[in-house]
Amino acid sequence: MNLFEYIRPTSVAEAIAAAGEPGSAYLGAGTNLLDLMKGGVTSPNRLIDLTHLPDLGKIEQLPDGSMRIGALVKNAALAHDTAFSKAYPAVAEALLSGASAQLRNAATVGGNLMQRTRCAYFADPASACNKREPGSGCDAIGGENRHHAILGWSESCIATHPSDFCVALTALDATIEIEGAGGRREVPITDFYLLPGDTPHEETVLEAGEIIVAIKLPANAAGFAGHQRYLKVRERTSYAFALVSAAAALEIENGTITEARLALGGVAMKPWRSAAAEAALAGLSPTREAFEKAAEAAFADARPSGENAYKIELGKRVVARALAMAAAGTPERMPALPASPFASDTGAIAHV
Amino acid sequence: MGVEGIGAKVLRKEDRRFITGRGRYVDDMSVPGMKYAAFVRSPYAHAKINGLDTSAAEGMPGVIGILNGQQLQGDGIGNLICGWAVSSKDGTPMKMGAWPALASQTVRHVGQAVAIVVAETQAQARDAAEAVMVDYEELPVVTKAVEALKDGAPQLHPEAPGNLIFDWELGDRAATDEAFSKAAHVTRLHIHNNRLVPNPMEPRAALGHYDPAEDHYTCWTTSQNPHVARLVMSAFYNVAPEHKLRIIAPDVGGGFGSKIYIYPEEIVCLWASKRTGVPVKWTSDRSEAFLTDAHGRDHETDVEMALDADNKILALRVETVANLGAYMSLFSSATPTYLYATLLSGQYDIPAIHANVKAVYTNTVPVDAYRGAGRPEATYVVERTMETAARELGISPAEFRRKNFIRSFPHQTPVIMAYDAGDFDATLNAGMEAADVAGFDARREEARSRGKLRGLGMSCYIEACGIAPSKAVGSLGAGVGLWESAEVRVNPVGTIEILTGSHSHGQGHETTFSQLVAERFGLPVDNVQVIHGDTDKVQFGMGTYGSRSGAVGMSAIHKALDKVEAKAKKIAAHLLEADEGDIVIENGEVKVAGTDKKLGWHEVCLGAYTGHNLPDGMEPGLKEGAFYDPTNFTFPAGCYICEVEVDPETGTTQIIQFVAADDFGRVINPMIVDGQVHGGLAQGIGQALLEGTHYDDAGQLLTASYMDYAMPRAWDLPMFKVSTHETLCPGNPLGMKGCGEAGAIGSPPAVINAITDAIGNNELTMPATPEKVWKALSAVE
Ligand SMILES: Cc1cc2nc3c(=O)[nH]c(=O)nc-3n(C[C@H](O)[C@H](O)[C@H](O)COP(=O)(O)OP(=O)(O)OC[C@H]3O[C@@H](n4cnc5c(N)ncnc54)[C@H](O)[C@@H]3O)c2cc1C
Ligand code: SF4
Repeated sequence: MNLFEYIRPTSVAEAIAAAGEPGSAYLGAGTNLLDLMKGGVTSPNRLIDLTHLPDLGKIEQLPDGSMRIGALVKNAALAHDTAFSKAYPAVAEALLSGASAQLRNAATVGGNLMQRTRCAYFADPASACNKREPGSGCDAIGGENRHHAILGWSESCIATHPSDFCVALTALDATIEIEGAGGRREVPITDFYLLPGDTPHEETVLEAGEIIVAIKLPANAAGFAGHQRYLKVRERTSYAFALVSAAAALEIENGTITEARLALGGVAMKPWRSAAAEAALAGLSPTREAFEKAAEAAFADARPSGENAYKIELGKRVVARALAMAAAGTPERMPALPASPFASDTGAIAHV
Repeated sequence: MGVEGIGAKVLRKEDRRFITGRGRYVDDMSVPGMKYAAFVRSPYAHAKINGLDTSAAEGMPGVIGILNGQQLQGDGIGNLICGWAVSSKDGTPMKMGAWPALASQTVRHVGQAVAIVVAETQAQARDAAEAVMVDYEELPVVTKAVEALKDGAPQLHPEAPGNLIFDWELGDRAATDEAFSKAAHVTRLHIHNNRLVPNPMEPRAALGHYDPAEDHYTCWTTSQNPHVARLVMSAFYNVAPEHKLRIIAPDVGGGFGSKIYIYPEEIVCLWASKRTGVPVKWTSDRSEAFLTDAHGRDHETDVEMALDADNKILALRVETVANLGAYMSLFSSATPTYLYATLLSGQYDIPAIHANVKAVYTNTVPVDAYRGAGRPEATYVVERTMETAARELGISPAEFRRKNFIRSFPHQTPVIMAYDAGDFDATLNAGMEAADVAGFDARREEARSRGKLRGLGMSCYIEACGIAPSKAVGSLGAGVGLWESAEVRVNPVGTIEILTGSHSHGQGHETTFSQLVAERFGLPVDNVQVIHGDTDKVQFGMGTYGSRSGAVGMSAIHKALDKVEAKAKKIAAHLLEADEGDIVIENGEVKVAGTDKKLGWHEVCLGAYTGHNLPDGMEPGLKEGAFYDPTNFTFPAGCYICEVEVDPETGTTQIIQFVAADDFGRVINPMIVDGQVHGGLAQGIGQALLEGTHYDDAGQLLTASYMDYAMPRAWDLPMFKVSTHETLCPGNPLGMKGCGEAGAIGSPPAVINAITDAIGNNELTMPATPEKVWKALSAVE
């Protein structure tokens, strides 16, 4: 039996104050947190329900042209916001490739950023897991680890971050707006997540009691709108997490790539931005060879953490394909199968 | 046919309530004073129970009673039975271990029920169930049938040494060996038929109500065959005497076989109601469903096919190990034997067949019939082998099949079945045309230019429905007859009630059964009420499974309608002063042929009930019943063709096209038949591409939720191209064969044959996940 206190604050300040009690957890839609509580993975003694806070549910264009997304905006609402999906189509595509329609209708973007790893040992309280129980060991090492990390892992933890949304955000230089007892601050998403190192239980730079209030996408990210895609390879077309995914965005002028953005999902405990691949592409024309070169660069440091060497090869193929799809141009409308290797450029499914 | 008669696409009458949320399922039922149950279930796959401490749980809020296996046994409640006796080839009877509804000494699979907690609310019952302390002593575990047969494997039941339930054979071993010795070519394959979790949309539920005033028991349960449940619960489990027990299976949201069986939960709820003095309701959640609903399939098979120099099949040899799980479920013994090996001749003239099946206990959920039950396993063996043989011989798979088709009927196979009718060329031709097989090479080239691998796979299945006749199944070991009953009750105003022993849990019986009346008397289907699923209303029946409701259930209705029609004609002839032979009934009127003399149907019916003017000696009323026992199985058959595109960079498979050309005999409602085929195909494609059931070494079910067990979704499926061809079944009055399972039977081999064609590697097991496809591709690159 899970016994916990349930609190429904009416302001951010009230929420933060309530979180002063140790063992508190913020509750978004609960699509991740409640599952973890039912499975005995986490057992907070106080749930602070954020979903009734005012003002966190807006998508706004700021005067400087950037876009600000309140932490309580639903995944589906954001993906289907016309202005947003025009400016950041790969982010919308990433959102729509995640979970299921029902889950996307419920899940908040703040919750999506903070969702926990899908490592099966993490989810099983009977297994050893340094992330769940620091110092207990890691059963994934030497266990079933086909889905685990190939970049940035440590001997303490080889898990991956499961979010699709964050991968596209990372490619486009999003920032996270955080509020805590000490006031508001902004952190670039590339600095938000922590690699496991010796402390895999520390996952983000959020301090105890801090709350995500919004996500911001810079105005210049819209410059990539014509050439950006999210590609997600998974074991089934829906309701599955990425084995490897890639968000690719290109600025192409006169047949030359002037700037490239690339972030990878499913490969590390954070969405993995690849500066090396981006640098490799700048100044080249968008050809298969260029994309394969970038793919090599993206995985130059990759090494298997178990039975997952295949992910390196798969990852290269995914990167090359995502870049080629981006170069071909963002499709007019969202493909029927967002982010699928089978989504054709015209947005239709390729059934005869 | 009329607008609503046989062959009309009448919209499903029942759908109005289903799609407006007004269906009434067991969990919707409520009786005054009703309380809620939760089961204490084993977290271990194999353990001795050294003690049970309920003291903490008893003191928890809302708890009314906690009952255990010892009390159950003390009250004389019997162990669960297997209703089909199968003997080993040495003549010894099958070796069945005891399966008490609540375990008191040993648990043998994760999820097995140990105790029941009854409380004021469902949440209180669950909380208290968590607080029941069971002292388990873990025992070694085995989950794979092949492992369970090995020396030194953990032993499950003292009754079944070596975990072997039976070692059964069918066919002529000597003739088969002889044929193999003359073979010009032998094709060999190892086949794994993956274990599946049925997952009907509605989970199981039971509401047991003991009424001390009448000393009477009522059980609402999610059953496909309520009368069998009543018989078994009274005759074998001693829960209540048959005449004091009413079973009601109201709207049931899908079953696929998994709701045929009488499970521990309904027995225990009914018993607990008497013990605690309150009505007790239990509703399974999805996690419990994964852990307790009977699973399907799980075969390991070695198959060999002998061919002569002219590519004619000489013989087939099959060795199968079937995993039956921890206990023998109600029809578990029949599924891998009489419903499997008897279909190994497929659509082909095979002179000699020998099949050997070992049924094995493991520490897993019991396995029983699941949509298709044995026939999908047989079809997968035969059709994978046919395709592989054709590839080895370098000949067209279609022509190879054609060369070996059975073309004269009746045809006696070497494995019991006598096919009564069929036209396998017709469905093959229809399938190939619809699939544009002629244009495939060009499509393959086009795909190659895009870097994709296209493949085409075929499956020419035959299956057997309406399992019967009773005498024959009795001689093969069945514990029940397999006839069906029907009663047609004509009301004085001419509206009609059909009472049937078939049970609808999604099949659309309320519509199709009404169409028989529309056809017969020209009455609107809205004037017909179909009543089923209640043992107090319907006299007896065998329920719905094995696609039997059309061929058997509707034949019984047809017979009863014959009797109603004959009596109505007699009454009309008397009233109209005409000869009985001249009376015709159409469009709701009863006429004298060739004249303008007629009566309204309702007038004849009213006449039957007023009794004012009936022929001398005729009893009043218009109500007739019939029992129908078929003379043979029926044999639906068809040709399925699947076209896939594999992305070699990721191993992902997309089904580009799926064609189903079926022969179901007479089709009563083409729309419903299409729906049955679509659903079956989705399940078969799910098995082929997505659904995999995995246990770890400790016997924990790793795929026990929708996150880990991949159900097919609309996105995984193409638009299906389905068509039917009607070769009437000579064995029943309507010429029907049945269509409920064909989709799930015929499709898995078509999908796997297509993928293996695309990747050029025959070694591929279901579910063909991207990982497996990628590995198989890498192996041949
Ligand atoms: C079956 C299934 C499939 C899925 N598939 C995918 C997929 O393919 N791709 C994908 O990206 N995701 C997938 N998801 C994950 C899903 O996107 C997340 O569950 C969801 O986004 C979480 O949002 P929520 O509002 O429900 O968060 P909750 O479950 O309420 O919270 C999740 C975590 O975030 C914290 N939190 C929530 N809001 C805030 C805030 N404002 N500030 C600080 N902390 C906060 C909570 O304390 C908790 O730790 C899947 C989920 C399920 C159940
Ligand atoms: S990989 Fe990380 S999350 Fe998984 S078991 Fe190891 S420590 Fe836990």
